[in-house]
Amino acid sequence: MSVAFKSAIDDAVLDELRAIIGDDDRVLTNLSSRVNRTRVPAPFPVHRWAEHMPDVAVLPTSTEEVSEIVKLANRLRIPVVPRAGGTGLADGAVPLRGGILVDVKLMNRIHEVDLVDRTVTVGPGINMLKLNEELRRHGVFYPDDPASYPCSLVGGRIGAGGWSLLGARYGHTRENVVSMQVVLPTGEIAQIGDGGGRKLRKSSTGFNLKQLFTGHQGTLGICTEATLELAPRPETEFAAFFAFEDYASAWETTGILSKSGLATIAGVVLFDEWKIAYLRRDDEAYIEQPESVRAVVAVAMYGRRVEVEPASKVVMQLGRSAGGRYLGDEISSGDWASRHDRYAIPLHGRSTEGQAVPMSWHCEDAALNYSALPKVREAWHAIVARYRERYEIFDDWGMFAYTGGANKPWADYLVEIDVGIWEQRLNEETWSAWVDCKREIAEVTLAHGGSITACHGATRAGDAELVPTEMGTAWPVVKAIKRALDPNNVMNPGKQSLDEAYE
Amino acid sequence: MADDGDDTNGERLTEEFVDQWRGNAYGCFSSGHKFCREVCPVMEVTRNENHTPTAFHASIVAMEQGLVGVEDVADDFVHCTQCGACELRCPNSLMLGDFYRHRTRTVDVVKAMRALMVATGNEREGWKLWNERLAEDHNEPVLGDVRVSQEHVADWAEGLDIPIGGETILFVDCEAAFYRTSYTRAFAQLLQAAGYEFGLMREQWCCGGPAAEMGYVDLARKHADHNVADWRAVGAKRIIAPDPHDFIAFTEDYPRYFGDDYEFEIVLGVELVNDLVKEGRIALTQPVERTVTYHDPCRLNKRKGVHAAPRELLRAVPGIEFHDVDHVTQWAYCSGGGGGLPVEKPEITAEISRRRIGRAQELEVDTLISACPWSERPLSEAGAAAEQPLEVMDLFELVAQSAGIEVGGHTHAATPEARS
Repeated sequence: MSVAFKSAIDDAVLDELRAIIGDDDRVLTNLSSRVNRTRVPAPFPVHRWAEHMPDVAVLPTSTEEVSEIVKLANRLRIPVVPRAGGTGLADGAVPLRGGILVDVKLMNRIHEVDLVDRTVTVGPGINMLKLNEELRRHGVFYPDDPASYPCSLVGGRIGAGGWSLLGARYGHTRENVVSMQVVLPTGEIAQIGDGGGRKLRKSSTGFNLKQLFTGHQGTLGICTEATLELAPRPETEFAAFFAFEDYASAWETTGILSKSGLATIAGVVLFDEWKIAYLRRDDEAYIEQPESVRAVVAVAMYGRRVEVEPASKVVMQLGRSAGGRYLGDEISSGDWASRHDRYAIPLHGRSTEGQAVPMSWHCEDAALNYSALPKVREAWHAIVARYRERYEIFDDWGMFAYTGGANKPWADYLVEIDVGIWEQRLNEETWSAWVDCKREIAEVTLAHGGSITACHGATRAGDAELVPTEMGTAWPVVKAIKRALDPNNVMNPGKQSLDEAYE
Repeated sequence: MADDGDDTNGERLTEEFVDQWRGNAYGCFSSGHKFCREVCPVMEVTRNENHTPTAFHASIVAMEQGLVGVEDVADDFVHCTQCGACELRCPNSLMLGDFYRHRTRTVDVVKAMRALMVATGNEREGWKLWNERLAEDHNEPVLGDVRVSQEHVADWAEGLDIPIGGETILFVDCEAAFYRTSYTRAFAQLLQAAGYEFGLMREQWCCGGPAAEMGYVDLARKHADHNVADWRAVGAKRIIAPDPHDFIAFTEDYPRYFGDDYEFEIVLGVELVNDLVKEGRIALTQPVERTVTYHDPCRLNKRKGVHAAPRELLRAVPGIEFHDVDHVTQWAYCSGGGGGLPVEKPEITAEISRRRIGRAQELEVDTLISACPWSERPLSEAGAAAEQPLEVMDLFELVAQSAGIEVGGHTHAATPEARS
């Protein structure tokens, strides 16, 4: 088996890195630089912090620098871990075997705004909110809008294969990346798009490599430049929240709305009973609702007034057609407007004794068809309840289901169960219980014809070992591609069970 | 307290520090979303993850875990202007703030870590020298190698006939007393024009705020003690702080030092002048033909929520064309002049100011108006160095001009050798 192992990077390697970068301030070997590039917001095994430290972090400013770094790593079989914002909810940007961490945050320039052919070309270290601040004056925007919109970076979105809150209307990350420059695991630079054009959205020449290089979790290369879609800034938005007395009618309404054929619908979100109970219990910003409110459906639309205003009337009818009660303008516009801030709301949970404690947030993000939602929901809550009975570190913060199909919201969903994990109490036993819990959740997903991850990536223990099962007959193809592009397994090794490609 | 070479003492202090800040740190660590990163002015320049507020809190958890010591993270904690943007942008503050007045404390963490650096022998050279000079001269060495002194602390007031003492005392910041004296002269003359009575201190030392920001807590306290004693000796009831940094010291540090035994009313200069204009006690009769934008000083806007009064005052000036940028967008703006950053990392301060000037120039203005002398030095330098130079002016200077006052003084050090 040819696997890049945790490396002991010696002075000779550091000298080579410094020669490539030409600025010692961008080759960081000090403890603090390594300690602070080990984790992402997802629950982190604090007791094993040191195992996740890279040996050195480099902050390149050009594609050429990245290329030379990766060539060096490939020559010496040193693991390379790409890292952009470090805001992922799985471990794409977390080193598993030390090595060289390539931190792209300094590559945050806007290279070109093309208002004629409607693209913007940027470095991977730029944040979407910052990018849109610059684009605003041109009347256009880059519509990739994750919950982490104020903090995640374009490079990480591409590596992870991000999902957008507005995906039903504008597409998700992969639909919004027109082309990109990628440093391959052997260090060569490739321009990846649809066919050979840098600004073309559809081609049948060669293979469609763009999809391959979106969502590989940093295992096939490092994006160093991206040409992105520019959409017209929507003239107006409309959001409505509807309350239900039971999950079944909320689920039915979610289906009615997402199958309505209204093209301006940007997303439909379903909150289940556990989610409402959690918000009632622990969200200080929760606006009191009668006890009869047990599930909620939110819907948002974007577009021209001439489209959105008449459609909003239809949405109001459809939202009420199966027993929904409109929650009013304050909640509808306010909660939607604060959607990015609200996503970080789970700042604390409850111990089994009911004590409020700081907890980290695990967000399971399966992709599932509409028909599977009710059964998966029951099975997932039962799993978490079983673990919570045994271990005080677990808390169940309820579930969301979001429309998942890009421009086609009617059939599949990003399904999220939020599990609170009390990191301060993690030890070997509880961490391994958590990994078992995750694996059970993922197994339920697979049993219902779903996919383990819609956007975070199957890069953590508990998920990663199930990737071969999920991929099934396509797994040999995946392994062949990985081996062909990364002959020495240096690019983000240990993720997604891809070590099997070298057995 | 300087390093006494006692490792055990350092360990004990570190342990106490971690005990004190662990809970606050976990509030960030367990969330870890880094919304703060893209509004942090230092991070915007360095793009180094160590310099994020998130990393500051994570470092405390790492200290608790025994992974790092003070010496490993000391340089990281220099990378902060204490502007407070991160606290505002923190989802913990945003979502809980309205309900529990909860605020993630990052500025205080940075100050506490810097104090720990001083106490454990991890001082930074620039700050050490700066505070040695402060200890000797009792004002900050804002003129570089040209020493400041008590003898010259009120030179700025030459010809203004301001009495010493009284119920209302005008406190003058070190930068404004020695470097940008036009700022202070403009302010004092506006009060005089309104017939507002005030006096100066008998012996005015530095407020001590910057020393506290750099971790020199004992020195800061000594200066606070002196100033409060001087106020009491003349029977002062009211202290006017035109400078936002002093305002922070008097409304946050001093009440912590003196507790209930702190009887003074603290008046913010810009709010006072705005009130006097609104009451008709200062007449703004001279049109000023300038196209301006306003820089929200961090300690007014982000730390104290003061953004309306300066805008109101600016709009009261006849002839002005005002291209405003809202105060929330300006959470991400800064001059880089605060928190001791220009002493230790002048290149980062200069770059933050260069970018701020660039933002102003996009608005096609001829003048950037600020309301904080500490911002005005780096901003003026960046404005002068820009391809299309941009003038930086203080709000009081602008208002005084409109009130027909010949301000006098200087906007930079009086002698070339005292310029930065």
